[in-house]
Amino acid sequence: MTADLTELFEQYYGSLVRMLYRRTGDRDRAEDLAQETFARAVAAPPNNPRPWLFAVALNLVREDGRRAVRQGRRLELLRTDERPEQGPENDYERNERSTAVRAALAMLNERDREALLLKAEGFNYEEIAATLGLSKGAVGTTLARARRRLVEAYQSEGRGKNVAS
Amino acid sequence: MSHLDEGTLHALLDGELDVTEAREVQSHLGTCVACGSRLQEVKQFLAEADRLVGALEMPAGAAASPPRPPRQSAPPSRRQLHEPETWEEAPVLLVLDNAEALARRRRWFRALGWAAMIAVVIGGGRALLNVVGQHGSLPPAHDITMAARSGPQAVASPQETAGPEQSANQAPTAPVRTLAKTRPSAPKTTPQPKAAAVTPLVDSAREPADTAADEFADSAQPDTETLAAAGATAESVSTDSVARDTQAKDTARPEDDLATRRAAAQALAELDRQRRRERAAAATAALQPAAPARADAPAATEPPPPRTPEQRSQVYLRIGLDEAAKQLGSPVHVIEGMTPELIGLTYGRLVAGADPNRPVVRVVYVDSRGRMILLDQQRLRTGQAPSAGEGSLRWSVGDVMLYLRGEAGPDVLRSLQRRVR
Repeated sequence: MTADLTELFEQYYGSLVRMLYRRTGDRDRAEDLAQETFARAVAAPPNNPRPWLFAVALNLVREDGRRAVRQGRRLELLRTDERPEQGPENDYERNERSTAVRAALAMLNERDREALLLKAEGFNYEEIAATLGLSKGAVGTTLARARRRLVEAYQSEGRGKNVAS
Repeated sequence: MSHLDEGTLHALLDGELDVTEAREVQSHLGTCVACGSRLQEVKQFLAEADRLVGALEMPAGAAASPPRPPRQSAPPSRRQLHEPETWEEAPVLLVLDNAEALARRRRWFRALGWAAMIAVVIGGGRALLNVVGQHGSLPPAHDITMAARSGPQAVASPQETAGPEQSANQAPTAPVRTLAKTRPSAPKTTPQPKAAAVTPLVDSAREPADTAADEFADSAQPDTETLAAAGATAESVSTDSVARDTQAKDTARPEDDLATRRAAAQALAELDRQRRRERAAAATAALQPAAPARADAPAATEPPPPRTPEQRSQVYLRIGLDEAAKQLGSPVHVIEGMTPELIGLTYGRLVAGADPNRPVVRVVYVDSRGRMILLDQQRLRTGQAPSAGEGSLRWSVGDVMLYLRGEAGPDVLRSLQRRVR
């Protein structure tokens, strides 16, 4: 049992944290949620671990999503005071880009976003279907929509910014 | 067949169609210009979306994580199997976009012929060991070009790739033959040739030649070396001892795994304990300000290098802006133009001049040179006199005492002090 869990941890912890980080934008929170997910795996060892772990993690994200959104917004307000002069330039650019990607990601609906993040962790369609409770046939359509919307949202955001500045 | 929907095109590019579906789709793509151009568009969306999601990487140094030994201690082979660091193995397919691309690809495959042949020969050679081990002689050679040139075929089905023996029979190179004679059996033969035969198709479908050729060479290289080495020893060493060698290797691996698992289990348990301590400390901090500092406890058992920002700044509990405002009775003070790394609570006794019996709100910054700047704030008790001096880094605004400290020099701190709002 312990060995099984350790193996799960070994295999999926990194992937899970990365997915959660992409989803939440907060590394500490991502790690907390991953810990919580594994804690639940201890309580109820899953049969099909990868979809199970990621489904639980995504549920946890949704559960305390509202609180996080509130905090995130406040922090964003604080952040708008920031002047770009501090920090190395490339850091700033990288932040800028990932902020833009995150904003684009936030414009997708929950299912599309989750499908994208799972695909990025190497999930195949069957696993995505199992994790999100979709039929396997619907995954292609979901991903098609998600990818298109993400790219379009990202591009339109870039245009908006150029117009504004 | 009617036009293809976008989901199908994505499934095709993701390698999620089964062989018959993929054949149907590809035969349609071969004749339908509209779907062909849509496929190009879909490819771009797919690549761009992957790139965007991939850009969301965790900051490496900014927020150091708690110890995560499994990541470091896991043997690389396992990780590749189960949790791809990069994108998962590209799907098995070759999309016929247009005639020109097809012709280009054909030329390229011809150029690849030699490399492909080596890979097939090596992979097949291993499988051949089985055959020879059983029959004691080499079967007759067949036409070699088929296996090497199977590239432009639309889809490499499992049936097509699963028969390494056939392609192995075509092996003309010497090392394989000597090996085949000396080694009675080699475990895990089939996956190798399969991968070798399939990879070039995949890469050519996704992007032009160069990378695929490299990858090909890479995948072929180690095998060549091990086989050559094995071939050299096989002359002098009896077949039994070779078999024993491979057995020994196989038995050594589970022990490594076990050790890794134990280490990971310990790390996980320790991580849990640490989290529990943190939560307990946070929960009791308000009631028992004199409780021993939490930072001491994990430091004793845990090696300090991957310290979290909380540990580094001695914050025992991260809080949000609303909680900070509740503690202070007024909005938290910040340094204009800087982004706080975190906001949290620290013990009053750690801040000179603060009330030691109450928590202090600490806003933590890291400046551009990585130096930590701490802006501590505590609400004054009724009747408590602000112990501020002119020009000092300790001052009061309303009934909140502010303390500015950090790893930067006093001049820098004073300039920052002017920006505190």
